Amino acid sequence: MIQFKEGFYADIRVEDRFSTVIAYQAGVLEEMKNRVEKQAFLRVYDGKLWYYASVTDIEHLQKTLDGLYAAATANPEILKDPIVRKFEVNRDRLSHFEGCSVRDIPLKEKQALLKSYLPLLSEHECIKMSRAKYLDRNSKFTFISSLGADIEYDYQTCGLALSFDMAEGEKQFSGNWQQGGTRFDEAKGHEKEIRASIEEQISFMRNSVPVVPGKYPVVLSPEAAGVFAHESFGHKSESDLMISDESMKEEWQLGKAVGSPILSIVDCGELSGAGFTPYDDEGTKARKNYLIKNGKLAGRLHSAQTASVLNEDLTGNARAVSCDFEPIVRMTSTYIEGGELDFDELIAPIEKGYFIKTIKHGSGMSTFTIAPEVVYEIENGKLGRPVQISVITGSVFETLGLIDGLSKEVVQLSFVTGGCGKMEQHPLPVGFGGPFVRVCEMNVQ
Amino acid sequence: MEKEFIKNTEKKVSLNVTGGKIDSFRQTEKTTGTVRVYENGCIGVAGCIGEPNEEDLTKRAIEALEFGIPYPEKLEGACEMEERHDDEIIPIPEFIPTMQTFLDRLGAECPNFAFSNKIGLQYTSTEYINSKGHRLSHAGGAVYVGLIAKNRGSGNIFDSFLGWKGREFDADMLITQFKKEYDAFFKTVDIEPGRYPVVIEATTILYRFINHFIGELYASGASLLSGKLGEKVFSPKLSFMADMNPLTAPTACFFDAEGCVAKDFRPVFVENGVLKGLLTSKKSADTFSLPNIGSAQAAYDGVPDAGLTGLYFEPTAKSLKELVPGKAIYVVVAEGGDATPDGHYASPVQLAYLMEDGEFVGRLPDLNISGDFFELFGKDYIGTVLDEPMKGDSLSAIMMDVGK
Repeated sequence: MIQFKEGFYADIRVEDRFSTVIAYQAGVLEEMKNRVEKQAFLRVYDGKLWYYASVTDIEHLQKTLDGLYAAATANPEILKDPIVRKFEVNRDRLSHFEGCSVRDIPLKEKQALLKSYLPLLSEHECIKMSRAKYLDRNSKFTFISSLGADIEYDYQTCGLALSFDMAEGEKQFSGNWQQGGTRFDEAKGHEKEIRASIEEQISFMRNSVPVVPGKYPVVLSPEAAGVFAHESFGHKSESDLMISDESMKEEWQLGKAVGSPILSIVDCGELSGAGFTPYDDEGTKARKNYLIKNGKLAGRLHSAQTASVLNEDLTGNARAVSCDFEPIVRMTSTYIEGGELDFDELIAPIEKGYFIKTIKHGSGMSTFTIAPEVVYEIENGKLGRPVQISVITGSVFETLGLIDGLSKEVVQLSFVTGGCGKMEQHPLPVGFGGPFVRVCEMNVQ
Repeated sequence: MEKEFIKNTEKKVSLNVTGGKIDSFRQTEKTTGTVRVYENGCIGVAGCIGEPNEEDLTKRAIEALEFGIPYPEKLEGACEMEERHDDEIIPIPEFIPTMQTFLDRLGAECPNFAFSNKIGLQYTSTEYINSKGHRLSHAGGAVYVGLIAKNRGSGNIFDSFLGWKGREFDADMLITQFKKEYDAFFKTVDIEPGRYPVVIEATTILYRFINHFIGELYASGASLLSGKLGEKVFSPKLSFMADMNPLTAPTACFFDAEGCVAKDFRPVFVENGVLKGLLTSKKSADTFSLPNIGSAQAAYDGVPDAGLTGLYFEPTAKSLKELVPGKAIYVVVAEGGDATPDGHYASPVQLAYLMEDGEFVGRLPDLNISGDFFELFGKDYIGTVLDEPMKGDSLSAIMMDVGK
């Protein structure tokens, strides 16, 4: 039983993380392991400074906590501190994955599943090198605070990542396919989908032509739209970088028009998948947060510190990539809400433009960038030949204003590799998604 | 059965900065242990967090042999080496006051910038021992500054960056150098689209092509470099290596995850334009008959794989003025660039300055830069300068297409 001291705020987060990695290269086993790591992150706040410690010895947390208390200075008024007053005091026990935990599935069964997909990677002569991975993670989190918070919840991801390097004559292409879910059974039965994806990427390698750089209408797939929302606007909504400059609140006033009136962007930790965060790492309960609603700035993402400085409500976005780090403001699952069109209606008015089907990565500052992977020309309202594009770029705010069509269909995506990077903390699992999004003009290179 | 034992320790102190003020102090220490055993052409690995118990790890590594992961046993032979560069840089009790004084002075010199993010101290040590008598020991330390600079009132969350890592913290040098950039930031200038010498950390571009240096991809024929090992494929002025030398990479370990030690602690990829090495582990080098230059990495509980920590570009000039006399574009931030399968690179530039004879003239608007892989590091490669004070990495100059 942890003894908290008066005169300080303190909290303790413990993660018991189980993970599996099985990897094959060119059909040969490269890696096969289960890892179990138990770690804790402790915070003490005295109203002036935060004191943090990360430990793997979770049997002696009291000793570590007392060490932090010794470094800090007791503050009789700590409960009146605006940050401390912001903290939610939740008590909850959530177990979504009891009975279907990847901890209970034998390593050999996971290996057999991955092996069953390997023949698909040797069906084509042009595939010169292939890699296949099975990855899972099950985490049990506990969080307690000196205010009385007491939370337990679990988290799970599980999936497959295939990649293949292809060459034929002078043509080369690195392809991939990935499936991310939360249950082991979801990783089964993807043969048809994988085969179709490989064939499409081979066709892309054989037939794609370089783009003529210029400004064109562009239609983004849900994958590209989700990354665009995350990179172009999600990071700007993380308010920790906003509080260092008082003028930011004026510049980013809620209600200000920042995009097309059909555009709404949401961040929500309640969605199942990689971004699932029912409670953040300060014990705040997840909720649906509009960042943009009908083109207007509707909210931003907060920790208790930033919510206190900007005098806004908590959002459940204080997250740490692991118990090595303190929580900072991060996204959970970020997506664009759907519109009213079918895909065919979306591309119908485009005389010449591009459909970005899959992407390699994206980034966003004042200018955002998306590096497309598989792209098709749109000509006279129909999809045409495959095209090679290095990057599509644009000013974030100009581009948000140029969105003029959204599909009804919305897809939420969750991956088992990669994640979001912010300063020293990478990779944080996040979800993203959206509809097919039409932008009337983007800079294509 | 042959065996390797590795122990790693990392101690870190990290300060968080918000609006120029330190608001948190984080102290961490993490030790990991690894045992790898080799028998009948297979590898067994076991790892732990915390003080390693070699006997227990060995037992678990032997059990892991049953997975049947093929790996050649090619352990390094008897040799002992030690490199220690972990003298105390700043006593921990003095770290907060020293850095707050630095931040106050920086803020006074650059009043229109609000500084945030991290300043830290890092000490690392690694011990490697194998059953053939190969014993290596490394200890390094550095102070690092990674501050986001936000122009007050700009509406951006990030306008520039002050990044530095080294063994001797010199606040005067950092402030003086950053002040030059700060002054230029508020003088806007422009250029016509065209071809210009672009001064940039070459890794910004090269990392977009780094997969082409991976041994497996090279051997498969799907790399842009396939079949070119030993050939002159780049400019004769271009030489670059993995940087594991404590002189230029303060916390880097001088040996790789498999105990390999390269000449000058820098495994060579390209020398005078000739492709000399690829990213390999002992396994991939053995499988594909490639040279193993010694840059493998491994998780504490993982099988070694090809990896890379940082690159060192051989300098060709002593100063930026010597490297690019006259007009040049100095790129500070170019996020989000990438390349097509046939090697065409393009990237937006979010922050760049116009330079004249090595001195900042003013800030340029957002730009685009582009070029082709073999030309960027071939006929368009101008050279590299080292020890430009504000940059941890080398700065290279390359002729590029610059647009708006």
